[in-house]
Amino acid sequence: MVISPETRAAIDEAIARTPQPRGALLPALHLVQAEHGHISLELAAAVAEILGIRSGDVMEVVSFYDMFHARPQPRHHVSVCTNLPCSLRGARTLLAQLEAHCGVAAGEPTADGRLVLGREECLGACANAPVLRVDGTYHEKLDSEAARQLLDGLE
Amino acid sequence: MPRISVDGRIIEVPESRTILQALDETGLLMAGIDVPHYCWHPKLSIDGSCRLCQVEVEGMPKLQIACNTPVADGMAIRTRSERVCSARQGVMELLLVNHPLDCAICDQAGECKLQDYAFEYGADASRTREPRRALKKNVELGPNIVLDQERCILCRRCVRFCDEVPATGELHVMGRGDRSVIETLPDEPLANDYSMNVADLCPVGALTTRDFRFKVRVWFLDDVPGVCTGCANGCNVTIGVSKNRVYRYQPRRNDAVNDTWLCDRGRLSYKRIGSGDRLAQASLRGTASAREPVSCGTAVAAAAARLQQLTDAAGAAALVVLASPHASNEDLFTLRRFCDALGVTARGAAVVLGPQDRLLMKAEQAANAEGARRLGFGPPDALLARVRCGEAAGALVFGHDVLDPAHLGGPEALTALETLVVVDLQDSALARCADVAIPVRHAAEREGTLTNFAGLAQRVQPAVEPGWEAWTDGEVVWRLGAALGLAGFEGAYDVRSVSRELAQAVPGFSGIDLDRVGEHGLSLAGVGS
Repeated sequence: MVISPETRAAIDEAIARTPQPRGALLPALHLVQAEHGHISLELAAAVAEILGIRSGDVMEVVSFYDMFHARPQPRHHVSVCTNLPCSLRGARTLLAQLEAHCGVAAGEPTADGRLVLGREECLGACANAPVLRVDGTYHEKLDSEAARQLLDGLE
Repeated sequence: MPRISVDGRIIEVPESRTILQALDETGLLMAGIDVPHYCWHPKLSIDGSCRLCQVEVEGMPKLQIACNTPVADGMAIRTRSERVCSARQGVMELLLVNHPLDCAICDQAGECKLQDYAFEYGADASRTREPRRALKKNVELGPNIVLDQERCILCRRCVRFCDEVPATGELHVMGRGDRSVIETLPDEPLANDYSMNVADLCPVGALTTRDFRFKVRVWFLDDVPGVCTGCANGCNVTIGVSKNRVYRYQPRRNDAVNDTWLCDRGRLSYKRIGSGDRLAQASLRGTASAREPVSCGTAVAAAAARLQQLTDAAGAAALVVLASPHASNEDLFTLRRFCDALGVTARGAAVVLGPQDRLLMKAEQAANAEGARRLGFGPPDALLARVRCGEAAGALVFGHDVLDPAHLGGPEALTALETLVVVDLQDSALARCADVAIPVRHAAEREGTLTNFAGLAQRVQPAVEPGWEAWTDGEVVWRLGAALGLAGFEGAYDVRSVSRELAQAVPGFSGIDLDRVGEHGLSLAGVGS
């Protein structure tokens, strides 16, 4: 896996907009993930070299943000918001039920590569908690039956 | 210098320091003024993450963290007001929310800041009912360090250490919030030369050394101040001893020598003390090749008789004396007097060279190589050349450093000698081919001073007793001198009187008295000029 010249040019553009190269880390990661779907150790090392930092520094940031993925991703991302309001409305129980339904723990892709369940920090829809997001689409005020059906309907 | 008041006590502190730095530099931190802290360390950058060091500063509406609040003239600080105590209790409660209650099987128990502060400032009982986070309990970060992720309070001291001191940066905080953990990258284990310092830095039981874990409860250990003998740097250590056995070296803070660090090689060099290859029995080479075990007294008498015979027959010029760069200044001074009295001019000391770096590790692999030079035991090359080409009839060798490939290479080079007396710590190939072999004491088994590479004389004292009869190098020499009837070797050997005589007789050593050297050493006169 290598960073394409186009992505590299876009990273350089981002660097030019920041006082220090390392300031362009987040844009660079978005660009690399858009190209490769995830940020492997190898890609992190490439980003680190461009920005003059250690690959460990890059991996710290990748591991910090839920929207960055260190491993190849399945076809669908199902993220359950587990921040405070959603948790108060049963999001953690919902997540546990979905884990049981799919037979995998959050963060582990299903064996068929169909989907991965994840926890997400605030999705900004607290009024309709609990909320989950499937590949960018919000599904709000869910009970566990509706959520299970939603997951079963994914290709 | 700004004057500040701390709990009503007026103190003058250095400029541009934070409150904790100022208290540390004035020696008051945790010695009169107790400001508990986890993430702050005097030799690392400021993190401000643990929030435990909060204090009340007059005129400021909120509590301030002492580690990162600059002192200013006239500042009034309260470290034990009700507000401070209740904030500490709150911080302790948060730090303990996810901490497992496994003190009973934790190596840190007894020297754990989490235990200490929970006892001193924390609440009696936990108010949480939620399960604690379940993480990996036995992560091998590298060859010497094991991590228990559940015990970690994420103070980041270890991370900052790796970034700032060896500058190797192997440790990272991965994840976020209550899912953060300390990790290494898959292909970058924590394997730098200073890795074991992270176990000392860790205020809790998260990081332990593979060498020490599960060996002994720390409350059974006596701490004896000592000096690492791994190289010429002379790092200050605390020797952990229980039942006459050394369990570990830990760095002892000395800002002039090793700050608060110790290299892994030096730290593990304590193993030489109780090692199985110690020379533990004086012996004579019998008629057969077997060695005949004898008492040290008999061995010294036999050595004296052989040396007498040699000097009578061929004169003192036929004798070569090689001193040990591991022996103390007092030992070496006694040997110097011995050589003078006997008329031996062929004297030197062989030093083994090893890896060195920009931090602590010095090339000379002996604690007193500098002392040996200053006491007239120079490079051994000319002497060893004489031995090799058969010009010397006898050799009195202290230590086996001469066997290093850079010097003799092997004991074969000594077969031409009529008489070989070896006085050593280790049962080396040299001791095995000696006519007389006499064991001596390790620096952790005796009283004396060592001179480090920079000319700082530092004191060692007995932490353990050898399990066999052994004297110091100095006492062996003294008894040899007495047996040979040399002037100046009357009466019993007394290290203190030798120390006083050394201070008077050798320029540079004036003022270096065993009892005046203190915990942090004294520089020899003329050092730096």
